[in-house]
Formats: sequence, C-alpha cells, structure tokens
Amino acid sequence: MRRHNMNSASVILIKRGIVKLLKQPSAPLTGFGMSLFFLLVYNAGIGGIGDMEAFGTGGYLSFVFPITIISLAMGSSSGAGQTLNADMQSGYFKRLYLSPAPRWILVISPILADTVSSLFFTVLLIAIGALFGVSFQFGFVSVLGILLLSFLWSLTLCGFSAGVMLRTGKYQSAAIITNAVFPLLFLSTTFLPRELIKSGWLLAVSWGNPVTYILEGNRYLLAGTSSPQFFIIALIIFVLTSVLSVAFALSSAKRIKI
Amino acid sequence: MEAEIQIKQLFKKYPDGTEALKGINLEIGKSRFFALLGPNGAGKSTLVRILTTLIRKDSGEFFIDGFNPESDFSKIQGTIGVASQENEIDPSETVENTLVFQGRLFGMTKSQAAGRARELTGMFQLDSEKNKKAGILSGGNKRRLHCALALVHNPKILFLDEPTVGMDPEARANFWEIISRLKRDKGTTVFLTTQYLDEADRYATEMALILNGEIRYSGTISEFKNMVAPGNNMTLDESYLHYIKTLNNNELTKKYEEA
Repeated sequence: MRRHNMNSASVILIKRGIVKLLKQPSAPLTGFGMSLFFLLVYNAGIGGIGDMEAFGTGGYLSFVFPITIISLAMGSSSGAGQTLNADMQSGYFKRLYLSPAPRWILVISPILADTVSSLFFTVLLIAIGALFGVSFQFGFVSVLGILLLSFLWSLTLCGFSAGVMLRTGKYQSAAIITNAVFPLLFLSTTFLPRELIKSGWLLAVSWGNPVTYILEGNRYLLAGTSSPQFFIIALIIFVLTSVLSVAFALSSAKRIKI
Repeated sequence: MEAEIQIKQLFKKYPDGTEALKGINLEIGKSRFFALLGPNGAGKSTLVRILTTLIRKDSGEFFIDGFNPESDFSKIQGTIGVASQENEIDPSETVENTLVFQGRLFGMTKSQAAGRARELTGMFQLDSEKNKKAGILSGGNKRRLHCALALVHNPKILFLDEPTVGMDPEARANFWEIISRLKRDKGTTVFLTTQYLDEADRYATEMALILNGEIRYSGTISEFKNMVAPGNNMTLDESYLHYIKTLNNNELTKKYEEA
C-alpha cells in the first residue's frame, strides 16, 4: 500500500465532490439556466439601447454578459453545503473523518468541487456568449481574467454557503448567501453604465458594493467600457473575501458534532 | 507485554458537566482480543471516540501502536479500523464504489482498491449486492458494508463499538468468523465494546469493566469470572450481572450506613 499522500486525498475528495454534483446537478444547472435566461431576456428586451455610445463597441450583449457570469455562481453556490449536509445526515462524514486525509480537506474539497463545477459552466457560458457575438477585448487574456474573477467570486459564495450550513446544520440554509447577495446585483451598475444612472443614492451605494467592481472589471476585459483599476480592485476584494469565506467555513467545521 | 494501546490518566468532561472519564489507565497488548464492558452511559463510547481521535480528551495521554495522536494523527488513522454503532455509509454510492473509494482514501492504487473491494464483498457475502446503491440495501447488508469499510486498509488495530447491532444471527456468525480469522492470520488487535456479553465471552480473552467513567476491573475474562464466583463456572453474562448486583448492594448499604 502506498504511503498516504495529502495531495492524493485532496484530489480524490475533490473528484468525489464533482461527481456528486454531476449526479445531482440541480444546483449547477439552476445557476447555468438562470444565467442563460438573463443573457437572452436582457439582450432581447433592452438590447436596443446598446447602440448608445456609453455601451462601447461591444453593444449591450457584452455589457450585460458579466451579470450572467455572476448569477451563474450565485445559482450554484449551495452545492458544497448540500454535499456536506448529505454526508452528515448519512453518517458518512464520520467515515471520511476517520480517514488519514487532513480534516480541513474534508470541508475544503466540496467547496473546491463546487467552484470547479461553476468554472466549467462559466467556460460553457463564455463559449455561448462568443457565439452570440460577445466581444473579448484582449482575446484569450480576457477569458483568463474573467475566469479568475469568476473563480474568486464562486469560491467566496461557496465558502460562505458551506460555512452557514455547517453552523446551522440545515441544508436549506446553504441558500442564505445567494439570497443575501441577490439584492447587491440590483444596487450596482447592472443594467446601465455609471454615466447613465441618474439616481444619486444608487450611484453612492454602487461605489460601496463589491459586485460593482467585479461587473466593471469584467466589462473592462470584455468591451473596454470600464477602466483597468476596477479589475485590480475586484481582484483584491475577491481574494480577500475568498480567504475570509474559506476561513469562515473552516471555523464553522469546528462546530460539527461527530 | 508489548502494549499496542496505552492509556494513561485519561479524563473527559462534557460541556454539560458530565464527567465521562475519570482517570482511565489501560494497557492492551499486541494481537489481543479485548472487550470493554459496562452499562449504558458508563463511558465506553467516549473512550472509543477519544482513542479513534473523533473527540479530544481533556487531560492524560494515550498511544496507539506507539503513535501519539497529537503528532501522528494520520499514522494513527492508517493503523486503526473503526466500526461504530451507527452505519457510516454513502447511500448514493454502490457497494463496490464505496469500498474502492475507501481504499483510495487510504492511499491504495485503483487496482489495489478494486482488488480489496472484491475480497471484502466475498468475505462479507455482498457479492450479489455489489452493484446496488448502499441506500437500498437491507439493514443487515448495510451493517455488513459498514463493517467491511473498517477493514479495507488492513488495519493493525480494530475498534468495534457494538458492531453486530442489527445483524441477523447468520451475519453475526459470519462477522465473528472474519474477525477471528483476522486475529489468527494477521495478528490484528481487537478492541470491542458490546452489550452482547456472550460474544465477548466467546471471542475476547481480556476485558475491562467501566462504571461511571472509572475502570473497576481490568484483566482476563477467566480471572474476572473466578473473582466474582470462584469455582462456579459462570458465563460472563452471569458473572457480570452478579458483580453489578453486588456492587449496587454494597453502594446502597454504604449510603444507608452514611445516612
């Protein structure tokens, strides 16, 4: 028998998490369906205003595309919590707990599996977006930048969702984070560029809303309608929130009663 | 005696104030079949949970095959196999996949794990069930799978916490045959807690009796029987009941005298 290796245990557990999501794909498919719905409906309904100069050369489709990416992770972020909850309800978590795998990996692996699954659907969405005519200002570099932001955003949501579930012990509570973040989508530059928003309070709120930075960071990469600072700030914010969410999930794991 | 499990002054108090273990000292030798006996709530499961690193002790120390749980956590996990009271199986996976995954978690290659899964499905008479999801197995077969999982990585020490609860007599006999063979062929050390004293009587050679978190007796089963009723040839069940009854009477008498 080979000597136990921490990396091999992590890979095996992450693989298990992804397989679980694929076998019960309701969470990632909900996110993907919701995103595709947003993309088609917004573009069909108000895509005509994309002719205005403020939307840049990419049109409304490129402008609204970041929303679909953000909502994708929101829709699927409860998967990690649900995997953990199912293992706890069945008692199987205890069996995993008795393996030589480091215990923090048992919590991190479903979070990473959920994040990887979300990234897979992001790639699919990017491919569909490209087919529909979304522009990528820096080509492949833009795609990599979008994937990086998506990874951090998804990791943030999955980590907090798993943490909340671990603290409450109820799988339904994994969706609390999605519900909490949902209003932030509308308190930002979601539908219109900053220049076209007339409401002073909405503009003020949007400055303090982290969603604004990920939206604008993506828009910089897509159609160049925003400045590169947004991308940098988004990167800093979501690296921090990712670290915080993973730390929250790990500290919540200490409350598990085995 | 070369101690494979060494326990020194182990204390555990739960947040609700219950003192579950009050300074446990025990030594269990290599390849021994040891039974920890005691009534419900005596501290048996707490001790097993501490020794298998599921919960933390408050003070004292213990060593498993010479490994310290503070510094050699993964070595201990690789050394022990645990079959506890509740089934710990993934209902959405097939029997075969569950066993293969367990092997992979313990560092086996895919082919090693698959080979071991075949061996165990044969040993536990789960061949015809191997492609079924664990969730739809009968209660007895779930129990067999649960016990098989504890053996996947060929552990040197087996912790069996009420392992045969829910098994029919045939499955129970089959289970003990497997454990006896393991002990005989591989020298596996067995740490058993059970309410079925006939099982302990038949298979174990050493025992400890725990009451209210304290070890009241530790030694061989035959010595225990002899201590309780010398030359009476009682079963362990009878000796145990006799001992507890005498103890209760003594304590009642003591309380009465104190009052």
